[in-house]
Amino acid sequence: MKIAVCFKIIADYDRMSEKDWEWDDRHFIDISFVRHIFNCFDESALEMTLKLSKQLENLPDPCELTALTVDDEQGDLFLKHLIAIGFDHGVRIQCDGRLDMRFNSHGISNLISRYIRQEGQTLVILGYQGGDGDNGQTGFLVAEHLGWPCIREVIEVTVAESSDLLKVKSRIDGATLVQRVKLPMVLIMGHSLDSPYLRVPTLKQKLNAKKKPLTIVSSTELGLDNDALHSKDKTLMDLHRHNPGKSCVFLEGKTAQEQAKKLYDKYLKQRLSL
Amino acid sequence: MKLTRKEIVDQLKNIAGKDRVITDEQVLKENSHDRYKKFETIFGVYTNPIPAALVKPADTKQVSSILKFLNKNNINCVARTGGTATEGGLETIVENSVVLDGSQMNQIIKIDETNMLATAQCGVNLGELEDRLRKQGFTTGHSPQSQPLANMGGLVATRSIGQFSTLYGAIEDMVIGLEAVFPNGEITRIKNVPRRACGPDIRHVIIGNEGALCYITEVTVKIYKYFPENNAFLAWALDDMKTGFTILREVMVEGFRPSVARLYDAEDGVQHSFDQFAEDKCVLMFMAEGNEHVARATALGIAEVVEKYDGCRPIKAKIIENWFNHLNWGPEKITEERELIRKNLHIGFTTEVSANWDCINTIYENALKRIKADFPHIDDLTMLGGHSSHSYQTGTNLYFVYDYDVVDCKPEQEINKYHIPLNALIVEETLKAGGSMAHHHGIGKYRTQWTRQEHGSAYYILKGLKDQFDPNGIMNTGTIYPVEPE
Ligand SMILES: Cc1cc2nc3c(=O)[nH]c(=O)nc-3n(C[C@H](O)[C@H](O)[C@H](O)COP(=O)(O)OP(=O)(O)OC[C@H]3O[C@@H](n4cnc5c(N)ncnc54)[C@H](O)[C@@H]3O)c2cc1C
Repeated sequence: MKIAVCFKIIADYDRMSEKDWEWDDRHFIDISFVRHIFNCFDESALEMTLKLSKQLENLPDPCELTALTVDDEQGDLFLKHLIAIGFDHGVRIQCDGRLDMRFNSHGISNLISRYIRQEGQTLVILGYQGGDGDNGQTGFLVAEHLGWPCIREVIEVTVAESSDLLKVKSRIDGATLVQRVKLPMVLIMGHSLDSPYLRVPTLKQKLNAKKKPLTIVSSTELGLDNDALHSKDKTLMDLHRHNPGKSCVFLEGKTAQEQAKKLYDKYLKQRLSL
Repeated sequence: MKLTRKEIVDQLKNIAGKDRVITDEQVLKENSHDRYKKFETIFGVYTNPIPAALVKPADTKQVSSILKFLNKNNINCVARTGGTATEGGLETIVENSVVLDGSQMNQIIKIDETNMLATAQCGVNLGELEDRLRKQGFTTGHSPQSQPLANMGGLVATRSIGQFSTLYGAIEDMVIGLEAVFPNGEITRIKNVPRRACGPDIRHVIIGNEGALCYITEVTVKIYKYFPENNAFLAWALDDMKTGFTILREVMVEGFRPSVARLYDAEDGVQHSFDQFAEDKCVLMFMAEGNEHVARATALGIAEVVEKYDGCRPIKAKIIENWFNHLNWGPEKITEERELIRKNLHIGFTTEVSANWDCINTIYENALKRIKADFPHIDDLTMLGGHSSHSYQTGTNLYFVYDYDVVDCKPEQEINKYHIPLNALIVEETLKAGGSMAHHHGIGKYRTQWTRQEHGSAYYILKGLKDQFDPNGIMNTGTIYPVEPE
């Protein structure tokens, strides 16, 4: 089974203060000074795939894992991490830096699906949405391009009776759905408090990973030039600061009891008596 | 005759009032350990004897009465304030211990802007004190990573140090006066004066006692004017730690006093994502602060020193500033860490040592070499490295950091399989080269086997303090001083 997990790295936005959100003429925000991290949905997808591959280890058709990202060189460090923890291939699709891919799910999904088809992958796993564009469309569009079925809000994938059958748990309207599915398939991972953290490579694994080459593919090699990738359906017009307009009241009081009483008298009592 | 658990609890209730004596089992379990045993306790395993009670005294007088009672009845007392100890100092290793938790003695007593002093009870959280001071344009200059969690009593009791130590010094440079209670109930106050020559400096009997000699109830520290607008960050990537130590030394010896002076090796840098800006490199960083003229001159002077060395590539100051602003640990990071440990059976610890300039690099290299050669579970390690974060005219500290997957062992076996042997290898190499085995976390309960070696002939003085002030040995048994065989 050939499995590709598509991931994205994003700036750690929690580490940006309000004054850091400055943009240039093209609406690019300077995030070069902030550390980057795995997008949380993708982190769950990556770890879950490693667990799945462990289950497949003893089956006659062992799996081959590819970690795939559309990014520039900053993605390489993350790909090396993934190779160290068990991915067989680290692939980075490089686009022309002049393109704005942040809100371009159409372009990204086109690139991913071309690579998937070219490499004969049978299972594609992606996170539900990226923390910067928050588009929430890439997975569905990949499925559309490939003509494969897809399941969203996936929380767990395990092996069913044979290696081309998987048991997929997903969330739907507050319930959990368990399905047995046949490949090929696109799975779109959800994220929750129970989601797994990505494992950390051991010193030995890191050393071994250094020797393994990464695969860098340009968008043109996949047959997509800038014109084809350019987002035709959406153009970023402007950015505005969101003013949540929340007000905050500090409850004064010497002791917790005093503060709790004020909270009750002023804010809760009326509501409770309704 | 020894009092029973019930008798201890009843008597404590008589002294402190029943609301101040807690006997809830889960609370007692949580108060039987500290972060040294964080692995097993996250999995609900508590291997120390569960204390008889947790008492939260209201004031110094109650502390005195409680200690007198414990001393008379030979009951072990474990002092506690913020609960962030990392070296076993909070472990209740004796049956029916009593945990004396000063966290409710939490009043900021006075901020004296003329004499530049702040006086706080032992349970005042440093973060709260600092926020109050900053609103008034001042700072204590004390900023340990645990600032949002640790309290004044514990910070003084462990000889803690903060991230701006190279300018402001460590807690012992900040404390002006103290109030402490000894096990016989004696309340002692050391007055606040700028300096005196009236016999030995008795503050140092109290600072760093880790609850093994007395209970700290009140602390007075210096305060400084706060000029955050003048902060200047500088950083460079370089190839090796040896050059980094040489540069750090030169900066200090030339007389510069940046508030921050840090050197990370490449491995440790990965934990802080420095590899994203300087892959496979060490990172050297400084922060200059204070009055605008001083801050500017400090930054210029340091840059001049560093740039004399080949192979130092500047790193954008904003990267370091952003990183530095997120270094402190609040409750949310503790929760996140617990989750990570629980889900991935992956954990990290540190051992912090210090040494003079002439042997610091030897300790750095030898300790890492020794671990790689002698530690039997090296394949489980995911990270092994270190950094220097506090420099002095005469030397610097080294903070070894090691993370590992906990493989094939029960929660309670973790410390024996990994933490204790790793800690031991670092301590042994440090002492062998002439360094000190504990730079700022205290000795706690897991480095006591080397206390004698650490102090050599001066152990006579250290031992004398215990004999004089805690003759019954009721104060935090097994901390600083090794437990003597019966
Ligand atoms: C995330 C994290 C980051 C940290 N970063 C730093 C750092 O940057 N620098 C640093 O120096 N340390 C650091 N530490 C260690 C720890 O925060 C310090 O040792 C701190 O000084 C402990 O203060 P506390 O109030 O939490 O004390 P506690 O944990 O309650 O107690 C610490 C020790 O002091 C004794 N003690 C406590 N209160 C009293 C008292 N009133 N009288 C006598 N003895 C007492 C205890 O018995 C124990 O031995 C860190 C710890 C954590 C968890």
